[in-house]
Amino acid sequence: MTALTVGFDLLLSAALLWLAWQALFLPLRFAAVVHFMAFNLLMALVWVRLEAPDVALAEAAIGAGVTGALLLTALGRLPGGGSRRAHPRRWHRYWRYLAIFSAFVSAVWLAWSVQHLPRPGLTTEIMAALDTTGVSHAVTAVLLNIRAIDTLLEVAVMLGAVMLVWSLGPALRPFAPATALPGLPALSRLLHPLFLLVPTYLLWRGAHAPGGAFPAGAVLGAGGILLLLADGVSWMQQPRYNLLLRLLLIAGLALFVVVGLGGLLLTGTFLAIPQAQAKAVILAVEVATALSIALMLMALYLYGEPGR
Amino acid sequence: MTPIYLSAAILLLANAGVGAWRIWHGPTSADRMVAAELITTTTVAVLLVLSALVEQPVLIDVALLFALLAAVAMANFVTRTWTLLREDSQARDEAGHD
Repeated sequence: MTALTVGFDLLLSAALLWLAWQALFLPLRFAAVVHFMAFNLLMALVWVRLEAPDVALAEAAIGAGVTGALLLTALGRLPGGGSRRAHPRRWHRYWRYLAIFSAFVSAVWLAWSVQHLPRPGLTTEIMAALDTTGVSHAVTAVLLNIRAIDTLLEVAVMLGAVMLVWSLGPALRPFAPATALPGLPALSRLLHPLFLLVPTYLLWRGAHAPGGAFPAGAVLGAGGILLLLADGVSWMQQPRYNLLLRLLLIAGLALFVVVGLGGLLLTGTFLAIPQAQAKAVILAVEVATALSIALMLMALYLYGEPGR
Repeated sequence: MTPIYLSAAILLLANAGVGAWRIWHGPTSADRMVAAELITTTTVAVLLVLSALVEQPVLIDVALLFALLAAVAMANFVTRTWTLLREDSQARDEAGHD
């Protein structure tokens, strides 16, 4: 039993190291990207083995859905023939020494800080405060009530990323596929109800079990990307919907800031949520953030400002 | 029951290793992509086995996400990567072989 568990873990870590090495050092770009996608899959299994199902859920939603899609599309736009030129071995050797040195220093620093972490962590404090947060799952309580400022800043960072990508130029026009794809519109139409149902389920579950706004938004965004691939959301590209699109993009952040200012008015602390309204407020913020995250991922996927 | 579940998980992981070999070896991008989908399917199976092993229903949710999102990766590959790349003459070649 223990021998089998150890065998499973050893096999998993060996596969992970192999995939990471190939993703970094293969000269073929496409093969490297596929290795990275497989790395994401096994990484989710590692999070499961480390008993962190919340992280595994986020890894599954973001790693399998959105990162792979962004990398594959970017790969399709790169000029051909130069794939061997991008190899890291052609860097100047001083840069290599600098990279090795900084990696070594941060590894030592990380090992040192792991030794000095408070044991057994903040679990008891969070469990003691859980009843006042309005949700019964510790991770959601930390993300949306106790440390809501972190989540607020994360959403702001994502919005900043969208603005940066849009500032680079107009939205990219996709190339024609190499073969006819009669099944694609049917696939997106068949799967779309599931891409609405699963995020709703994750969002609702977030109050008492692993789930919540980020995985839900990422899955919804992946469904949106599938629609984009099948040309199902042409309204995003039309100039007359531009204002609506921008308003929807900032809706999550705006609601979050309004909640924060409301907390400042009612209790005197920014982002403090009164206990009586906590459940409803957290649900509203989660819905708005999930919708905004989904739309932001779709907006990133356009690789430029639409309607220009 | 536990040793059976664990052996099944190890066997599935070994299967994923065969998929990893195909990703590494190629030779065409379609081979690599299908091998990645094989690893996705294997991961879904491993997650389901583990959820029975440690009695954590949330792992079924993770498996559900992987199963759902595999379609997006494949649709991306056929529409945006495997394209009639620009005007280069070897572009079609690269789509088939890189």
